[in-house]
Amino acid sequence: MKITRFLLVKIAGMIAVLLLVSLAVYLIFYLTPADPARTECGRVCTPAELVQVRAFMGLNEPVWRQYLDFLGAIFAGRSYGSGAGAIACPAPCLGYSFQQHQTVLSLIGQTAPVTASIALGAAVLWLVTGVAAGVVSALRRGRALDRAVMATAIVGISVPAYLVGLLGILVFGFKLNILPVSGYVPLTQDPAQWAFHLMLPWCALAFISAAIYARLTRSQMIEALGEDYVRTARAKGLRESRVIGRHALRNVLIPVITLFGLDLGALLGGAVITEKVFSMYGLGALLIGAVATTDISTIAGVTLLAAVFVIVANFLVDLVYKLLDPRV
Amino acid sequence: MARRQKAAESVRRHRRRLALLGTSAVLVLTGALAACSGANSTGSSAATVSGTTAASDGGTLTILDSDTSLTLDPAQSWSLAITTSGLTWRRLTTWKIGPTGTPEVVPDLATSGGTPSEGGRVWTYHLKSGIDFSDGEPITSYDVKYGIERTYATALSGGLNYQKPLIAGTAGYTGPFSGKQLSSIQTPNATTIVFHLNQPYGDWPWVVSTTSLAPVPAGKAPAATFGQHPITSGPYTVQSYTPGVSAVLVRNKYWTAASDPNRTAGPDKIVIELNQDPTVEAQTLIANGPNAQDAFGADFVPPAQLAQVENDQSARSRLVTSPASPLEYLAVNVQSPRLKNLKVREALEYAVNREAVIIASGGTVAAEPATTLITPGIAGRVAYDLYPVGLTGDPAKAKSLLAQAGVQGLTLTLATGNDPISTAIAQAVQEAYKTAGINVVIKSLSSSAYTPLVTGNSAGGYDLAVSSWQPDFPSAMDNIEPLFSSAMIGNGNYNISRLADPTVDALITKAEGTIDATAAGAIWAQADKAILADAAVVPLVYNKNSFLRGSNVQNFYIGEFPAYPVYTAVTLGQ
Repeated sequence: MKITRFLLVKIAGMIAVLLLVSLAVYLIFYLTPADPARTECGRVCTPAELVQVRAFMGLNEPVWRQYLDFLGAIFAGRSYGSGAGAIACPAPCLGYSFQQHQTVLSLIGQTAPVTASIALGAAVLWLVTGVAAGVVSALRRGRALDRAVMATAIVGISVPAYLVGLLGILVFGFKLNILPVSGYVPLTQDPAQWAFHLMLPWCALAFISAAIYARLTRSQMIEALGEDYVRTARAKGLRESRVIGRHALRNVLIPVITLFGLDLGALLGGAVITEKVFSMYGLGALLIGAVATTDISTIAGVTLLAAVFVIVANFLVDLVYKLLDPRV
Repeated sequence: MARRQKAAESVRRHRRRLALLGTSAVLVLTGALAACSGANSTGSSAATVSGTTAASDGGTLTILDSDTSLTLDPAQSWSLAITTSGLTWRRLTTWKIGPTGTPEVVPDLATSGGTPSEGGRVWTYHLKSGIDFSDGEPITSYDVKYGIERTYATALSGGLNYQKPLIAGTAGYTGPFSGKQLSSIQTPNATTIVFHLNQPYGDWPWVVSTTSLAPVPAGKAPAATFGQHPITSGPYTVQSYTPGVSAVLVRNKYWTAASDPNRTAGPDKIVIELNQDPTVEAQTLIANGPNAQDAFGADFVPPAQLAQVENDQSARSRLVTSPASPLEYLAVNVQSPRLKNLKVREALEYAVNREAVIIASGGTVAAEPATTLITPGIAGRVAYDLYPVGLTGDPAKAKSLLAQAGVQGLTLTLATGNDPISTAIAQAVQEAYKTAGINVVIKSLSSSAYTPLVTGNSAGGYDLAVSSWQPDFPSAMDNIEPLFSSAMIGNGNYNISRLADPTVDALITKAEGTIDATAAGAIWAQADKAILADAAVVPLVYNKNSFLRGSNVQNFYIGEFPAYPVYTAVTLGQ
């Protein structure tokens, strides 16, 4: 009963937040001074044509009507223009990119697997290495290993993503020539090549994020090791591995998981710099391209999706939190 | 074309700066690395031709491209006649661009560049026989007409569309999909097509060379889906296309070299790798590894890599730099209350420091001083300098002109894109004008704010604007009319000087209606001078674009125009 109520409240909250985000995203259409109709009208465009294009894109309607059309299209689909020259956008329609001549959903369909591949692989890598490094560091506190791990972590935190990516390309791609520097191979096409091509982006991203997790885990672990319940566990004669793994780490993981969920959610919305440096066409590259060309439908669709990721990640974190820490 | 946005191959042409903006962080890094290696970007010995040999056939050519998508429906394409669209689409006419010599318009599908009548108001073309689409069907005049009619469908707007306002009787026409045809395009038989225009138009042979006028199989090209599986007419057809990843072009088995002297069609296959980071792309080509030897870059080599190439003999031999071409200019908003006085505008002409602008643009390898509007290499251009002040300007002369105008403490707003190069140019202008006592406030804007400001209907908000322009085809018309015709003020058009000079308008109309190219060129040159006499624009520099190729890529050159490699001539060594 308690858990049902918890879920209902959370889901209602998520829907409310998504509606707000969609409204905010939709307002981008009106706050930006750019005229999407003029962009779509072509190099040579007469005022009469501009009026036609505006009507075709549905931009001649009042603002509230356009917002309702936008929301309605998600459930019922819509079409632009009429007759044989019309463009259909079937439900769930997140808009149509007049610049890329595709529905925003199909653009997302092409790019999301790339971002997911980068994000999930990197996330596993940074969580495992980050937590492991943090635990080892805490247990060897003050010794050479601890200092080495923390020094590496400082480098990871300080260095910008593009630098790590580009250095990786220069060293492993051009100098050693052992890893591909760009391109994405779909998992369904060739799993080995998929992983091979993702090796550099995974490592570059993981290096940066693992550093943060290592520091967080280390400080949490040091704190936990000083807690009464750890002393009690040790006093009970439990093996050290059990004390660390079962008692200390479980508590340490609570803030780590919180951070992990948020990081992963944000990354799924687009690993902008990594995608750009490694020439991978993910959500981030799609979004950057759309911003550069004022492709507002795509900006709106991708932003909305990114918001969904963050909100869902938040929700999952809350759930896991509840499982890990029954006090919540 | 100017700085504006269109998600297609052509973006690069319009928005070099924007492409760089996306990776500016990367550029900072590589710039630092280049500095460490003691590179120097000035004093480059530019070559416009690289790897010239006799044509050979076969192999797979790779084109590395930062664009994420290609526009494969010709109605919406902005691609130049000699780049990507030249590989897949034939038109009535096309461009002959050699390593040297003035660009010419030459017959492609048609037997001639066009026969004018009624003083240039009517143009007649006859099609060569025996030329087929990639589905094996013959290309007829009906297909040419259908292709042009499609450009009037609102769903397919977005192309270059020079023909749209010119063809007669098109008011209210919305394309062939509802069964309606244009009576102003006549097709008396399958090999003849006659265009009736609203006005005499001497550049019509150039207009029909644009991709928007490529033939499309009549009745077989739905607006929404044709671009996904196009039926092509050039030497190549599209085997597969994945946005953001690649487009694979393979031979169109119905294309014959005998019917097409303008395309070499050397490689058996062309893979366009999309979404490349320009820095990584340049590094890949400099390294010239096994995968890069059969490749060339479609993007300008970024400044840091240009510096790196200077110190690398192998890479330097594989670099091609265009002649001075796209114009970088300072638009002077003549409708601004502060700039209504000609003497004040003349002061702006005299105070400019072009040396500083060249440095801001990346040095002499990237720019040359400009004092005229028409692009070098375009027929009719006359070199002149109406305000001879040398490279560094004459602030004293500018001050005296301002004194004559009775203007003191002049403060002007300069609008610019917020990319690094535009910003640097704006700052160079600001410094130079300061020495002449003119205070310049820089308004640095993202492209989505800059473009509406300068091309919108309101003349307020800026006094000066940094902009650049390269014509869509090699005619002086496209240097002058889009930027200075009074019909091109506002509504998203590019007369950002907002000049409405009846003399200039009259010269434009006269030049457009002149069929003889030499005579028309002379009138365009007159218009060029008349606009400078109005001091409505301060030409700054002509930019030079550099491109890299792999070691096995042959016949890779840039003609006098445009400042892009001729894709249709590239071959691979065996």
